[in-house]
Amino acid sequence: MPATDFQGSFGRSLLSLRRDQVDSSTVVSGSSSHHEPSTMEVELDSFQRQVAEKFIDLNASSNDLLSLEWIGKLLDSFLCCQEEFRAIVFNHRSQISKSPMDRLISDYFERSIKALDVCNAIRDGIEQIRQWEKLADIVISALDSHRPIGEGQLRRAKKALIDLAIGMLDEKDHPSGTNLAHRNRSFGRVKDSHHRSIGHFRSLSWSVSRSWSASKQLQALASNLATPRPNDVVASNGLAVPVYTMTSVLLFVMWVLVAAIPCQDRGLQVNFFVPRHFQWAAPVMSLHDKIVEESKRRDRKNCCGLLKEIDRIEKSSRLMNELIDSIHFPLNDDKEVEVKQRVDELVQVREALRNGLDPFERKVREVFHRIVRSRTESLDSL
Amino acid sequence: MEKSGNHHHANESSENHDHKSEDHENKQHSDELHSSTPESQSESSEHSLVEVMEAVVDFIQTLSSEKDPLGEISPAVESFPEAVDSLVSKMESSGLGRDETEDSVFIDAVNRISKSVMRLRELKLDSTPVSSWLNRASSVQHRAVSLLDEEFRHLLDRSREEEKKNNNNNNHHDGSNSDHNNSSTNDSDRCVLQDHEEAEEESFHDFSPESISTLKKIAGAMISAGYEAECCMSYEMSRRHAFKEELTEVGFEGINVEDVQRIGWESLEGEIASWISIVRRCSTVLFPGELSLCNAVFPDQDHSSVRKRLFTGLVSAVTIRFLDFSGAVVLTKRSSEKLFKFLDMYETLRDLIPAVEQSDSDLIQEIKLAQTRLGEAAVTIFGELEKSIKSDNGRTPVPSGAVHPLTRYTMNYLKYACEYKETLDQVFQHYEANQTDNKPEPETKPRQQQREDDEEYKVSAFARQMIRVMELLDANLEIKSRLYRDPSLRFIFLMNNGRYILQKIKGSIEIRDLMGQSWTRKRSTELRQYHKSYQRETWGKVLQCMNQEGLQVNGKVSKPVLKERFKIFNAMFDEIHKTQSTWIVSDEQMQSELRVSISSLVIPAYRSFFGRYKQHLDSGKQTDKYVKYQPEDIESFIDDLFDGNPTSMARKR
Repeated sequence: MPATDFQGSFGRSLLSLRRDQVDSSTVVSGSSSHHEPSTMEVELDSFQRQVAEKFIDLNASSNDLLSLEWIGKLLDSFLCCQEEFRAIVFNHRSQISKSPMDRLISDYFERSIKALDVCNAIRDGIEQIRQWEKLADIVISALDSHRPIGEGQLRRAKKALIDLAIGMLDEKDHPSGTNLAHRNRSFGRVKDSHHRSIGHFRSLSWSVSRSWSASKQLQALASNLATPRPNDVVASNGLAVPVYTMTSVLLFVMWVLVAAIPCQDRGLQVNFFVPRHFQWAAPVMSLHDKIVEESKRRDRKNCCGLLKEIDRIEKSSRLMNELIDSIHFPLNDDKEVEVKQRVDELVQVREALRNGLDPFERKVREVFHRIVRSRTESLDSL
Repeated sequence: MEKSGNHHHANESSENHDHKSEDHENKQHSDELHSSTPESQSESSEHSLVEVMEAVVDFIQTLSSEKDPLGEISPAVESFPEAVDSLVSKMESSGLGRDETEDSVFIDAVNRISKSVMRLRELKLDSTPVSSWLNRASSVQHRAVSLLDEEFRHLLDRSREEEKKNNNNNNHHDGSNSDHNNSSTNDSDRCVLQDHEEAEEESFHDFSPESISTLKKIAGAMISAGYEAECCMSYEMSRRHAFKEELTEVGFEGINVEDVQRIGWESLEGEIASWISIVRRCSTVLFPGELSLCNAVFPDQDHSSVRKRLFTGLVSAVTIRFLDFSGAVVLTKRSSEKLFKFLDMYETLRDLIPAVEQSDSDLIQEIKLAQTRLGEAAVTIFGELEKSIKSDNGRTPVPSGAVHPLTRYTMNYLKYACEYKETLDQVFQHYEANQTDNKPEPETKPRQQQREDDEEYKVSAFARQMIRVMELLDANLEIKSRLYRDPSLRFIFLMNNGRYILQKIKGSIEIRDLMGQSWTRKRSTELRQYHKSYQRETWGKVLQCMNQEGLQVNGKVSKPVLKERFKIFNAMFDEIHKTQSTWIVSDEQMQSELRVSISSLVIPAYRSFFGRYKQHLDSGKQTDKYVKYQPEDIESFIDDLFDGNPTSMARKR
């Protein structure tokens, strides 16, 4: 049922666009053709303004920066921009096949295909977070505050917390992470079982090839991305500008995804800069800088993703771990209250993940589908 | 309060039920032990265990029924945690699945300690002895369940590794079999698949009945101990690994979307073939097998949601990978050779749906969407065929009026396409439906319904497409035929191509059914018309010169006129023979039909002309000059026509 979203929500298909176009072109040809350039200017300008507005909005909610909800909003903005862009490309399709637009648009498509692999890798990351959610679940159900806690419950919680901590280590600190499970299995009956479950899981990232690197992919996405040359802008009647805009938005969105979600060979070293004279440059760069700052702040802690919920679950589980280590039986009331508090915290993060991950994953998927569709449309409409 | 009271009762009844069966088993146990070692009761740890176990049953029952808070733990139960702890130690070294009785004792013990712990925690008793016992008991419970968890994972993984070993062994022992397996692994051929499935069917039951029964017991114990999450994680992990290995074995490893765009069509074809083979295997064997494994390990009625969740998770994780690949493939440039692979993929996805529908996966829509994309690509590629027909406008006619390469290409392409008739029909139907869906005006709906009632509308979507292509081809051939200056050759060209098309259609049941009988009849009529036109064009003048009219001058046959007539006939016939024996009619039947009809037209006419007027020239000196051919010669020369080789007349004579 959710999968139908991408068919319905932006229901204006290419065909209906085509019809609209036919209608409007008959109107235009009826009136003076001198108006044409100015309507196009209006159209292109409105696109710039819309992109800017989206990012201004995203800035406004940036106290929620990098939360599942915020990134979801970012993805929604991407989808809107993409839809507008698609309409522009369609409306001016006669120009698209001519130089320099043919070159510019095929460059955009090439980059957008690179983004598809990012989406797939991100899906693996989401799956990984889901495993953490399950481990948090175990901790919560072990320390269920409605019942007295025995040593067994603490041990159970502890075991899940260790698994969680190992799972949340960044791969880079753990280069053998992917091989860990394999090695363990070849030893046969190995006792260090808690190292297994999560190491085991990480090796299941299978949506991209083993040598794939998010960091390199971002660099490839960004490589040679330059502001449109003035003669290209003139030769394309200004169409070069939305192509550049859309490419930048695409790059930024993918960069944020990689920044936030664990994925294979994460790395954010991408040269991203937009000159100030674009309407949307300021809000985008402002978000960019905030995220870079956040990454610097968190990097010291070897985090595996800047997602706010990851930070919360990491913090919450660390505190819980420390608390458990400090508990001696019989449990005194203070400790009991403290456990209850920590559990409540963990419950909150768990709820955030439980409610947020599914819709988030669907949005990532929708981005995937939308990119595929815009590409196949251009392949199938020629 | 009331709620908890109800809860209590419900538990009680189920407990009593459990109790009975356990009791029965234990009695047997203790009887055996009693008879073998009647005196050394206290020293036998096993015996003390049995006693403790029995006491625990009572204990749990008391806990369930007791209204007053329990102040302390009865001495009989006091040592239960330690007894189970030593059992765990024993099990840690031996492992489960070796001795069924020992397994049962162990699982029994775990179940009881879990039950005690859960009950005591529910009661929330505020008593130091009780909480101390609870601490010990819960620790032991955790240790025991952790062991079960490990054993569970181990059993799941081991069975997988043994399966692999077994497969290898089988292959070593049975050479022919291994050849077969190897070839079928990479082969997307449909016939081979059948054998593959059978082989797979056998080896999929890689879990022995004993393993299944142990897995089942462990899963039951873990879940009733409240460790459902751990149990599910372990199961999920192991099965996902199994699937990953399965995918790797058929060569379907993570291929990036970007790489799919980069590699050449030949390599991509290979990737598609292995994709098709693994997806088909999932639809027919792996997914159903996974479902039955799930049902076998979690058979409990109460665990249906666990089963569904695990199966759904696995199916979704695997299926989405398949869809990624199809999404990547559909982004490659369209070209005619891809049509059939795209359709194969389309069919493969269609057949995957029923298997995925067994789960709660929300990917059905995505599968359909992936199909839509493949279908759109197929429509485009098919459209390319139309485009290539339209744009084929070379200015040089094919020599000898032979079948044009465009006709051959188009017809052979259509013949292959018709092997996918049903699928293409679905694809075009879907495409057309999408187009109608996208129309904003609401009036289209009733109009469409009205059209559906119409007989004409029932012609399949693909048939309409085929008819379009045929019409385009006809139109193109019509234009091409005008490139011939000789109208006779033009008709021969149209006959050749028309005949080729007709033969192709007759040769394939699929196309024949699709195009319908009346269409075929119409084409046959057209061919006959070309034939007649040709005869008129080429032989009309020849017949005319044998006309008796004008030969008689003042009631007498005029020799000069007659001489002239013979001369004209000879010249015309020589010319026709010279040119038309270089023409080609490649269809043997049509060639002989043409010759026969020419013969039956020309020979009787010549024979009578010859018979009647030859005598008038017999006396002349140069009879041979005027009467060049005997009627028999004419017949043999007609047999030279449409052979495609310029025969020298002199040589023939």
